[in-house]
Amino acid sequence: MKVMIVGAGKLGYRLAEVMNHENIDVTLVDMNSDKLERISDHLDVLTVQANGIQIGALKELDVESYDLLIAATNSDEVNTLICTIAKKLNCKRTIARIRNPEFIEELDFVKEQLGIDHIINPDLAVAIEIERYISKTYNFYSGDFAKGKVSMVDFHLGNSNQLVGKKIKDLIGFEGLLITAISRNGKLIIPDGSTELKVDDVIHVIGKSKNINSLGDHFGINMNKKETKKVMILGGGNIGYYLAQRLEKLGINVTIIEIDKDRCEYLAEKLEHTLVICGDGTDIDLLSEEDLESYDAFVGVTGFDESNLLMALVAKQSGINKTIAKISRLNYVHIVEKLDIDVALNPINITVSNVLKYIKGGKVVSVSLLLGGEGEVTEIIVSKNSPIIGKPIAKLGLPKGIIIGAIVHDGEVIIPNGRSIIQENDRIIVFSLASDIPMLNKLIEPVNKGGIFNEFWGNH
Amino acid sequence: MNFGVIINVLGHLLVVEAGLMIPSLLVALYYGSYDWKAILLSIIMTGSIGFMMSRIFKYNGDIQSKEGLAIVGFGWILVSIFGALPFIFSDTIPSWVDAFFETVSGFTTTGASIVDDIESFPKGVLFWRSFTHWIGGMGILVFTVALLPMLGIGGFQIYKTESPGPTPDRIVPRVRDTAKILYTIYTVITVVEIVLLVLGGMPLYDSVLHTFGTVGTGGFGIKANSIGYYQSTYIHLVIAIFMTLSGINFSLYYLLVKGKWREVIRNSELKFYLGTILLSVILIALNIYRPMKYSNFGTALRDSFFQTSSIITTTGYATVDFDKWPTFSKVILFALMFIGGCAGSTAGGIKNIRIVILLKSIKRELYRILHPRAVIPIKIDGKVISSNTVAGISSFFALFILVFIVSTMIVSLDEVDFESATSAVAATLGNIGPAFGFAGPSRSYSGFSTLSKMVMTVCMLLGRLEIFSLMILFNPSIWKYEGFSKKNNHH
Repeated sequence: MKVMIVGAGKLGYRLAEVMNHENIDVTLVDMNSDKLERISDHLDVLTVQANGIQIGALKELDVESYDLLIAATNSDEVNTLICTIAKKLNCKRTIARIRNPEFIEELDFVKEQLGIDHIINPDLAVAIEIERYISKTYNFYSGDFAKGKVSMVDFHLGNSNQLVGKKIKDLIGFEGLLITAISRNGKLIIPDGSTELKVDDVIHVIGKSKNINSLGDHFGINMNKKETKKVMILGGGNIGYYLAQRLEKLGINVTIIEIDKDRCEYLAEKLEHTLVICGDGTDIDLLSEEDLESYDAFVGVTGFDESNLLMALVAKQSGINKTIAKISRLNYVHIVEKLDIDVALNPINITVSNVLKYIKGGKVVSVSLLLGGEGEVTEIIVSKNSPIIGKPIAKLGLPKGIIIGAIVHDGEVIIPNGRSIIQENDRIIVFSLASDIPMLNKLIEPVNKGGIFNEFWGNH
Repeated sequence: MNFGVIINVLGHLLVVEAGLMIPSLLVALYYGSYDWKAILLSIIMTGSIGFMMSRIFKYNGDIQSKEGLAIVGFGWILVSIFGALPFIFSDTIPSWVDAFFETVSGFTTTGASIVDDIESFPKGVLFWRSFTHWIGGMGILVFTVALLPMLGIGGFQIYKTESPGPTPDRIVPRVRDTAKILYTIYTVITVVEIVLLVLGGMPLYDSVLHTFGTVGTGGFGIKANSIGYYQSTYIHLVIAIFMTLSGINFSLYYLLVKGKWREVIRNSELKFYLGTILLSVILIALNIYRPMKYSNFGTALRDSFFQTSSIITTTGYATVDFDKWPTFSKVILFALMFIGGCAGSTAGGIKNIRIVILLKSIKRELYRILHPRAVIPIKIDGKVISSNTVAGISSFFALFILVFIVSTMIVSLDEVDFESATSAVAATLGNIGPAFGFAGPSRSYSGFSTLSKMVMTVCMLLGRLEIFSLMILFNPSIWKYEGFSKKNNHH
């Protein structure tokens, strides 16, 4: 597959990086040659210095030979235009990043008339993710698969003496659950029965949703099932706006704190029931005036990672049940995991997951990235001619970095062992390390181009 | 610096080299020449040492630019050491220094030889000697990158260091595919030339070996008087044209295949390269026509074309003894030694693109004196060249001249004449091969002292790897230890 990405910003870079692992050929176009030089040193992609909006430049790059063009410059208008031009030049599919809420409201028109196949809006994606989390009753972060039947959660062990120092095969209370990975000191480890848990490990557990829920009870991890009624949002940018809009519809009371006067007026005009407060959200006095303790959830979505993080910690200290922070910089991921906030969301990661799901299409139901993208959880509907059908899992020859976490067969969840057999149309939830993703893709889609010659000199 | 990764990749490199010796073994067996034992022994030694290196040390995917430099620098030295084994074992070149000189000369596509009586060489070793040109021309590490999928992005660091030119880049998204495409183009050109030479009446064995020397722009001959042995205008023209073609950036051929001939015609490096050749051919032909007593101007043009393309592409084949030409022609050839071929070709020298950029920046300085506040970017093919690149090229040029002067001083201790010392160093640093006087086309480098041979061996490596990549290895700060990952010690 050939993909062209226009715009080598944070999103463009991240997309290129992840696609690199997926065995996709990436061409990255940007006008800044310094940026491109740095990228070409770090990623195996073709970098081209050009203005993506120039028809000549796109023609010269043979845009018609690409399967997908992603316009990810920092301007909505430029992205739209690039996609429209590319489509007219016979590029197969196009994706545009569009952030402006007014634009998003006309989505169908934009898609049909302007030749854009898919729109990515990182702010909206983050808002949806936060909304999903807030509307849940439990307060640790999870991913849901197979229509909510299977969950994957991350537990921060701290130094819980029930778990630390034990070997995985000796753990009690993990019946019907599978520990797929452990993040330790910023690295993902694939455990086996003899792996010992250590202080400050974060374990990624997959299993039936009801088993996961009871896991918390078992280990006294805080799972108070309180419904969220009041949410405070710090920062009235696009994410804050989208989130408030969505939470209003759920009947939740929302307060937004925003520092910019004009923006406050805009928000107050656009939102029906939300309380908009104009002030500095990092000012503790202001927060206590607004009675911070009475809220059920706190969301930090300003443009500054540091403020989001620190204020979420402050909120957690004030006894707020759910605290969420938006963290744009990936470098922080490993530290944030250890801090006492419930969820740290990265808009870029969420967007990249979205794009991956779009690319993989059809049989792939969902994709989510773990940590800084070092692992990936994919939900797949197994097709008829997949090579993994009909053999016990132990005999599939899977690399160590690929773990089948759950199989949903006829609506029934099975946590597999080496003897389990996958059948056609089962949904499987697979965890894989980034380095093994190409292997995973091969398993899902058997590619047969015909012999060694094509394997060696293929694609050209 | 991650030594484990470096040793692992170098191990793989040696295994690849052992594999590349197999054709020579087959040739030796086919002709039944006595050297097959020597080649077989070399294969076993190279292969088993390489295999052990790649088994004991673990590849853990961390090739940064530092590791890339070390792999290329040491890779070339190592490959040359093991590549010299067939000469030593077969007793064709018993001296270790001489054998190393000959192998480096082969891999760097220089073509400077210390062998005085080449026609007595056994067929297998002779094949290996020319085959080193073919491997070294496009780069043995680029070949390894094409073979090893595990290198991934690390492959780019290696590719970038080994490929000639100021800013090597991929031509398709993946560096491994880029390497494959380059080798495909290379192979096609090679096959076409072999066929054309055979059609011209040259024996198959000779055609193959001369083609290796041509497309790799190497220039090892297999006859005492090089291509001059074949008195055929057709053969001279075929080789001259293919030398010229091999001096062109190979990514332009990819553009041609893709049907983008407009971009190829617009390429300013290509224009400068062909323009320089045309001008030199005419000037030399006019200059040699009378003194060398040519009966017609066409023959003078033919010899002038052959010699010009042979020197500018840094090949070093000869059809006539150009050492006897008038001084004006020799000075032109001497200047061409420095210019060399295009970036991304198999040729050596400073490279045309650098010369073009240097000329443009000289023009800019002149302009600046008249208009001190003018903003004058340097553009190549409509794209602005960053001031970093321009500065890098200026210092490369300065360093090239500096290395040239220092090496000439050392070589001149041999009490050779001025012309021989300067031209021999220029011919090795620029990867050309034959020079003037003492090291002229009808003679060899065997007369130089051991010290001079060693200096010139280093010059050849410096010239092929474009100085900086090799010189940086002598900087202690890149040697900081950052892990020595052996197998089975993770977790």
